[in-house]
Amino acid sequence: MRYLLALCAVSVLALVSGCGGDSEAPKTTVTVKEGSSITIALLPKKKGIAYFTSCAEGAEEAAKALGNVTVIYDGPTDGSPEKAASMIEKWTLKGVDVIAVSPNDPSVLAPAMKAAQAKGIKIITWDADAAPDTRSFFINQATSQQIGEAMVDALIKDMGSVEGQVAIVTATLTAANQNAWIDAMKARLADKYPKVELVAIKPCNEDQKIAFQVAQDLMKAYPDLKGIFGISSVAFPGAAEAIKQAGKSGQVQITGLSTPNAMKNYVKDGTVKSVVLWNTKQLGFLTVLVAIAVKDGTLKAGATEFDAGTLGKKPVVGDQVLLNNLLIFTKDNIDQFDF
Amino acid sequence: MKSSGPNTNESWWRQYNYWHETVLAMLIVGLLLSASVLSPSFTTVKTQVGLSSDMWELALLALPMTLIIITAGIDLSIGSIMALSAVVLGMTFEAGANPWVAAMCGIMAGTACGVFNGLTVAKLKVHPLIVTLATLAAFRGIAEGISLGRPISGFPASFTELGTGTFGGVPIPGLIFGVLALLFAIALARTPFGLSIYAIGHNPLASRYSGLPVARITVAVYALAGTVAGLAAAIYVARRNTAKADIGTGLELDVITAVVLGGTSIFGGSGRILGTLLGVLAIHQTRKFVGWYWDREELNFIVVGVLLIAAVLLNRLFDKKTK
Repeated sequence: MRYLLALCAVSVLALVSGCGGDSEAPKTTVTVKEGSSITIALLPKKKGIAYFTSCAEGAEEAAKALGNVTVIYDGPTDGSPEKAASMIEKWTLKGVDVIAVSPNDPSVLAPAMKAAQAKGIKIITWDADAAPDTRSFFINQATSQQIGEAMVDALIKDMGSVEGQVAIVTATLTAANQNAWIDAMKARLADKYPKVELVAIKPCNEDQKIAFQVAQDLMKAYPDLKGIFGISSVAFPGAAEAIKQAGKSGQVQITGLSTPNAMKNYVKDGTVKSVVLWNTKQLGFLTVLVAIAVKDGTLKAGATEFDAGTLGKKPVVGDQVLLNNLLIFTKDNIDQFDF
Repeated sequence: MKSSGPNTNESWWRQYNYWHETVLAMLIVGLLLSASVLSPSFTTVKTQVGLSSDMWELALLALPMTLIIITAGIDLSIGSIMALSAVVLGMTFEAGANPWVAAMCGIMAGTACGVFNGLTVAKLKVHPLIVTLATLAAFRGIAEGISLGRPISGFPASFTELGTGTFGGVPIPGLIFGVLALLFAIALARTPFGLSIYAIGHNPLASRYSGLPVARITVAVYALAGTVAGLAAAIYVARRNTAKADIGTGLELDVITAVVLGGTSIFGGSGRILGTLLGVLAIHQTRKFVGWYWDREELNFIVVGVLLIAAVLLNRLFDKKTK
């Protein structure tokens, strides 16, 4: 019986792979050539924090799934860019195949990254980018447009209506990331929800107490306020606390970008319905796949698509591979994530 | 060769003055031998030269720190002086100065910081631990304040050679360090300045009554630390092609560990440059091997902690005063 099952499985596999060969899609599925092995060093901005640990778990999963792949996950436990640069130098001497860098200070890491490239080691960036001449590809978790649109869509869904007043609590008025998201949010609102009125954009200067105060003031100034975007990891919990203390949970909706652990309590008590972030494990997984494809030359400049196996096909825009998978944490799934 | 001295009853090993250094050297050799078995690529010349680039700032700062600790003092602010020097260097360069002129400005700024430390210790009679704990925060604060935390890069290749270049296969910072180490060793062991440093560490009051310029020598050793920190900053900036206010954070602890591991008494009065060199080498090799073999950064903190305790025990074992 068992043999029969195995035989069935084998024939099904053969059929599937046969079909794959026949289809017109270019074959870019990542594999490691038999008999060869590949070593990938994965450098986080800071080792020992939950966000990066969960990325590393995804990278390990990819290594296991592919076989013959060694992932070295190490980084400065204090986030020091000097130590990160030393690690790149160490891996260059050791002769790893690929170094995937999440740079905590691109200017400090640049000499080490260039020296590694000169020695023939492939350098890619993930999570955060560096100067284009120091790496071949950047694995981008999400574009500003995707983040902006996901936040707008999440808030409209939580509000349950496509009209009303909303406001943004941002980091600072000069923060580049946040401003790019705000532009994308404005475009999305104008495009899809013309009856939603963005009444204010207030900075909290990355201070949770100020975010709390700003959100309180917004609710007083606009009594009909329907929703708030807290678009930094500080603005979001600060504003959520203000809504909770004002007893306006359910009346004023709030969403934003944050890690699930920081928002778990607000999600459970109903103040927050949705938290937007990307799938960190998939980011680590994709990074390993891209590293291998860059190493064996299957992913070259000019590609427009990258076949990431179980993650599906990922778009390649210029020299960026997009993860394209924003996650919305809600009370139903937030307990599955621990970072 | 040491003479056996008048007391021939005492066995030769009691007369031998270099036990600490010998044991430390044996430990380093043992580590390198085990390393060459566990991971042969670690002990190749290419790897060692490559990894050494991380050692020079630590090694340079350990030289004046040895002098300071022999005077029974301490300087916690050297990492911050490095940061301030680097920022001065960067901002002078950015204002249009030649990078070498900028580096001189950085070194002068470092010296000024050192003189400030020295004067406060010597003239105001504040304990050096307190003085340099204060300037540890203050100098970095100034560095952050004037640079606004902004990194400055774009130094020309002719300047970055100072940090990354080699001369006859030896890294240029290594050559600079070699020359300075020799000068420090001679100054400490063979000159009146060096002997005064030991005397101050043994007994500052007696030194003063016997006519030694205690205050002047104290200012000089702290100033020297500032100068060397400025030089280390220039090498760092050249190596990383970046000047910014957060460099050298926590470096003072590594430097003090190296000096104490090298046999310099934290209570002053004894210590040698040779021991410090071995202390630096021991820390550097251990740390690099741990990183090389296990690729686990968090182990490094444990290693340095264990080394420091080992140093104190080793010191007690060979310190004749405790016998």
